[in-house]
Amino acid sequence: MNPNNLLRCSVIILLTAVNACTSVTIDEYRQGTSHIEEGDAVVLLGRRHSSDYETEPDLVDCIGKIISKGDDGVNVVSEREFTDQLYPWFEPRTAPMSMKRLDQIAERTDFANALDTFNISYIIWIDGNTETTSSSGSIGCSIGAGGAGCFGFGTWDKESDYEATIWDYKNRTTLGTISADAKGTSYMPALVIPIPLIARVQANACKGMAAQLHNFLKPNAGINAPGAQ
Amino acid sequence: MNRLAKLFTLISLFWLAGCENSLVVKGTFPTPLIDKLPHTLGVYYEPEFAQYVYKEESQDRSMWTITAGPAQVEVLSKVLPEMFTSVIPVTALPSVENPSQAELIFSPRIDEFQYALPRETKVNVFEIWIKYNMRIYNATGQLLADWLMTAYGKTPTVFMTSKEDAMNEAAVVALRDMGATLSLRLPEVPEIKAWLVDHKPNPLSDPNAPLTQETDAPPASASLSSSLTGSQPEEGQQP
Repeated sequence: MNPNNLLRCSVIILLTAVNACTSVTIDEYRQGTSHIEEGDAVVLLGRRHSSDYETEPDLVDCIGKIISKGDDGVNVVSEREFTDQLYPWFEPRTAPMSMKRLDQIAERTDFANALDTFNISYIIWIDGNTETTSSSGSIGCSIGAGGAGCFGFGTWDKESDYEATIWDYKNRTTLGTISADAKGTSYMPALVIPIPLIARVQANACKGMAAQLHNFLKPNAGINAPGAQ
Repeated sequence: MNRLAKLFTLISLFWLAGCENSLVVKGTFPTPLIDKLPHTLGVYYEPEFAQYVYKEESQDRSMWTITAGPAQVEVLSKVLPEMFTSVIPVTALPSVENPSQAELIFSPRIDEFQYALPRETKVNVFEIWIKYNMRIYNATGQLLADWLMTAYGKTPTVFMTSKEDAMNEAAVVALRDMGATLSLRLPEVPEIKAWLVDHKPNPLSDPNAPLTQETDAPPASASLSSSLTGSQPEEGQQP
């Protein structure tokens, strides 16, 4: 291979491999013991009642995919399928905010039957979002007869703050909460070509939350939960 | 020079096209898990409602055109048959001279339609807010209730997703919200609640009627509507 091409390839591989750092803090508060039997399922639902943010559906999907992976994976019912089957009881403005309210709704036979068809043991509410907290720097790009290029430097901070609340549907109790806080700074130096060094804040919050949630639901499965790094 | 002019025109057209967004709301809507009211409902959609199109008039905003009429009719076609034992379409509002076979006539209207974009609110969500006037008439065309109901939907911005897709998702959430509020709250609207109490079906004449309230029980309209809908106000929830 031409040495120039080799150098180019190395730079591309290095750039795709390099990510900016993210720190993740996970907290767990457990009020009871979880027990999942063969065939039991859980559903992960995003809280969407707040007016100033929205729990991202892709974050909920990401956690669901990780905890359902592998031999020790948990059966996860898709959020859309669940909310469609139980419409209108889990819409953003009608979803139960407390176990007491869920208990009241579950007195309806059709509601209880629909939940039973999914064999739901735990309802897990995910609340929170990822936002850009600050940004600075500037990058300018120009195009001319001789070519195009960008120069400058930009940086921005992102912060994720999520909390998962686990409801034990069969025993009608709140089992515990898991919170995941992640922070990271992304950089974008531009010297002719902009080189993004992205901190994958939401993705790391998802992995941390999913690993902890898997251990919470299946404590005997060991610490090496799927997706844990 | 000719080429330069063509290029400039092409770039200008792309620029102008970028300021206009057109959306026909599309989605799948579920049927609700609710109890049916033992009455016949007539449904009359005015053309302005069934073919509703919102066009942004402000020059300061992106020129959105949002066609929501067919989607909201689709939601109602799923929700209303689950709310009443019988639903029939009607082609005009009834009158004293020309009464309807249905006991109640439902004719919705949109009073206001608003949207907000992330760059306007500095919040990473697309939002849609619709103010409905849900008008209910009796069989002779007398207005029983004009219930002002708001529906709200939002969706977060997603990397590599078009503005149209995000806005469509927000509209679908708003329409689901409309269906949810209508199905759970209609029997609690005071005028409808009073009408339902006055028009309780006689259990002796209809042994299959779902109401189990004793005929000599006090007219507890609140418990009646709550037993019909199973809904109760949630602490900390928005109405």
